Amino acid sequence: MQRRVLVVAAFVLAIGGGVARAANDVVIGALYPMTGPNAQVGNDARAAMETAVEIINGNHNLPMLLGKGGGLDKLGGAKVRLIFADHQGDPQKARAEAERLITQEHVVALIGSYQSATAATISQVADRYELPYMSADNSSPSLNQRGLKWFFRTSPHDIMFTQAMFDFFRDIGAKTGRKVKSVALFHEDTIFGTDSSNAQKQMAEAAGIKVAADIRYRGNSPSLSAEVQQIKAADADVIMPSSYTSDAILLMRGMHDVGYAPKAVMAQSAGFAEQAFIDAVGPLAEGVMSRSAFALDSAKARPAIPAVNALYRARNNKDLNDNTGREIAALIVLADAINRAGSMDEDKIRAALIATDIPGDQTIMPWKGIKFDSTGQNIAATPVIQQIKGGAYHTIYPFDVASEDAVWNVGK
Amino acid sequence: MTLTFLLQVAVGGLLMGLIYALVAAGLSLIFGLMDVVNFAHGELLMLAMYATFVVWLATGLDPLLLLIPVALALFALGVAIYHLLMARALSVQFNRGMVQIFVTFGLAIFLRGAAQFTFGSDFKSVSTSLLANRTIDMGGIFVPLPQLAAGLVSLLAFAGLFAIGRTEFGRALEATREDREAVALIGIDRDRIFALGWGLGAAAVGIAGVMLATFYYVSPNVGATFALIAYVTVALGGFGSLFGALVAGLLIGEVEALTALLIEPSLKQVGMFVIYLAVLMFRPRGLFGTL
Repeated sequence: MQRRVLVVAAFVLAIGGGVARAANDVVIGALYPMTGPNAQVGNDARAAMETAVEIINGNHNLPMLLGKGGGLDKLGGAKVRLIFADHQGDPQKARAEAERLITQEHVVALIGSYQSATAATISQVADRYELPYMSADNSSPSLNQRGLKWFFRTSPHDIMFTQAMFDFFRDIGAKTGRKVKSVALFHEDTIFGTDSSNAQKQMAEAAGIKVAADIRYRGNSPSLSAEVQQIKAADADVIMPSSYTSDAILLMRGMHDVGYAPKAVMAQSAGFAEQAFIDAVGPLAEGVMSRSAFALDSAKARPAIPAVNALYRARNNKDLNDNTGREIAALIVLADAINRAGSMDEDKIRAALIATDIPGDQTIMPWKGIKFDSTGQNIAATPVIQQIKGGAYHTIYPFDVASEDAVWNVGK
Repeated sequence: MTLTFLLQVAVGGLLMGLIYALVAAGLSLIFGLMDVVNFAHGELLMLAMYATFVVWLATGLDPLLLLIPVALALFALGVAIYHLLMARALSVQFNRGMVQIFVTFGLAIFLRGAAQFTFGSDFKSVSTSLLANRTIDMGGIFVPLPQLAAGLVSLLAFAGLFAIGRTEFGRALEATREDREAVALIGIDRDRIFALGWGLGAAAVGIAGVMLATFYYVSPNVGATFALIAYVTVALGGFGSLFGALVAGLLIGEVEALTALLIEPSLKQVGMFVIYLAVLMFRPRGLFGTL
């Protein structure tokens, strides 16, 4: 008898506790690949998102948006709580998980999701249920061109990123007198790689640069040796890969295996941003360039970076990179909009997102700021170009914010 | 397109094909013996790669020295899997085949999860070994040493498996495969043969794992990348045929490389499946299958 009472009491407490928490917390659904080929990125994203929650909910006194005080002040100090879902990198699972988060967990907004292919389905679901999808780290430019009302993206997309690459080619060419004459494109075959290479092809043509090879490969293949052979045969000035981590590793090792040392590699971030990539290929990573939305070495202009990086490091024993930096920034922008809305009503949150106007120095990103256009794209996001030196990325472009000079072997 | 260029791609396909063949050998062996597709085969490969990585990290021993110990460890694991799981699955009364399939499928998911839980989801790799990052230039054709060594070890392993096939144990395996009820009458312990078959199959994929770890990244998901190809290899070569697995592995390696080169890299698995479908239509038991 006594035992039964205890069980009932525990049950009531559990239910009551759940309701009490749900009434106060701002619940956001985060969708990432926690298992599968890109599990590493997903688990890093989880640590990054949890770091952002720690900044929002805790008392840290950081010189950034929501860096001071605990919780969301216009919602009575409400805490942000995340519910993570694993989409395994599969667009169909992403769709199902997004629906579950909305209908079962009653989240007020979604955030995610690394692979652009998964963002395509998640953002459709968000639009159907009319709540915001915050794209933290999807870079496909077509994502915000589908007439969705509830899609918002803080980060630059691959047309903006690719523009920065070609601006860099032009400026470094003018500076050193050694211009890029040809590029070899190497991209995986989902929406990320396809959109990225399309942008690269157009900009190369516009800049009068020859596309010596355009290799579309199957992601996560056991071997890329035949593909690498075609890159070697093209022998372009710059190799431009759009690849996830495993393929990035196989590409760099494969080029070495066939005795080919490329003059320059300019990556569309993704796998190339990961510490796992740098560790796996070791010295072969030296000199690799990548676009980035985040610059760990821009602490002078963004004083919150060292403290935020330390919080992240304490969780995950890694430094922030292009992906994790963007994830923190996006969640904070979303939480700030919910705070400004002063409500968990989806329409008010959307109105607050549309009204967003955050100066860059209130974030950890090297951007001019955050201001969404009518498609939900942040138009004040300004990317940088980075290069691996001594096993870590350093900003080399734009020249005025660079922390290191570029090592430029093209034309030598 | 020069001849050197074609040869280079063909060499790449050949070396990869030898790895595919060795991964498939263990799968074929177990299938031939028990009529069971081991869906955890890729995960055994993954475990062997992690074992190599972990011992290398802790002791700095060259992965090549770990070839025998890891193969033995995987042999023990294979025997254990048989006794703890498969023998029980065999003893059910209904739908025995399905139960066995689900057991290996569940094992695969469990092992992948356990690996991610234990080692994390980061990509790891063995960065120092006698062979690491070395490549030899043979008249313009580059042959990476780790892959070359892996190919040679694969051939040696096949030679070993063929040799085992000629021993008394090998004949007992063959007899058990042909009629598992009758062998009991002539005093062959079926359980023991099955267990050793699983051990041998796991040891073969263990050898593949060690060699793969010298030049490939290690992650909880790495097995899945190779497993699909292993299933096609076994089906193409003929279920239960070791020689078939060798030929089919090489064929798939080459078809993949040439499809990537001549048609389009993103379609390279299509080339492999076209061959498979053709074989399925005209010779359903596979190239060298006897079943």
